[in-house]
Amino acid sequence: MTAGARIPVRLVIGLAVAIALDTGLQLVWKTGIAELPDTTSPWELLVAVARNPIFILVALFMGAQLVNWLKVLDHADLSYAKPFTSLSYVTVCVLSVLLLGERIAPLQIVGIVVVVAGVWCVSQTRRASLGAEAEPE
Amino acid sequence: MSPTAFGVLLVVVSTMVEGFGQTFLKKSSLDLDRRRQWILVGVAILIVEIVLYSAALRFLAVSTAFPITSLSFVMVTLLSRWLLGEEIAPLRWAGVGLILVGTSLIVAQA
Repeated sequence: MTAGARIPVRLVIGLAVAIALDTGLQLVWKTGIAELPDTTSPWELLVAVARNPIFILVALFMGAQLVNWLKVLDHADLSYAKPFTSLSYVTVCVLSVLLLGERIAPLQIVGIVVVVAGVWCVSQTRRASLGAEAEPE
Repeated sequence: MSPTAFGVLLVVVSTMVEGFGQTFLKKSSLDLDRRRQWILVGVAILIVEIVLYSAALRFLAVSTAFPITSLSFVMVTLLSRWLLGEEIAPLRWAGVGLILVGTSLIVAQA
């Protein structure tokens, strides 16, 4: 059951890249949304999105995220890989403090510790039970 | 149904939809003969998720909607078990439970 030590390097890199891309995507998206006009008209919003180059960056992040994520899924169960992406909640929170000067609440620090503990639990389980990557216990 | 309840329902449905989209993406690495089709279906479903979530934000504040999206970790785990037949060890469930609590604490305070 404890397969944590046998995670292949390429999977570790893939998961790290997924978290990095997700973090970048969220920060860029947040910036883009904040620049949108305050309107309820879907057409006006669409035009604003099309005119703002930051959404090209959003699309590029999404494309890169998809390509990398498909590679990750080639080497691990979905229920193994997906929980790791929760670490982007931690990185976004930490970067918001470091880059944007936002304040961090004590409960957020508790949340970060709990998320990391949860990911550690998942990392200790068998990474692949399906397909060619599956290995006997 | 109140607008808030409708918004919450939309977010919950969007997390389920994400679970299905992710399941199809994983299917693409298990059924290589139809890899492209599975990817296309998966991406199409994930686009539906974005539309549903955006619609929910017309009824809910982001600070309410975002914590609910952490349910997607539970949805993905359930659907991986039911649709893909992945083995979910008790320790993995414990990890998903901790992640659900932890991410909610982080975003609820943001």
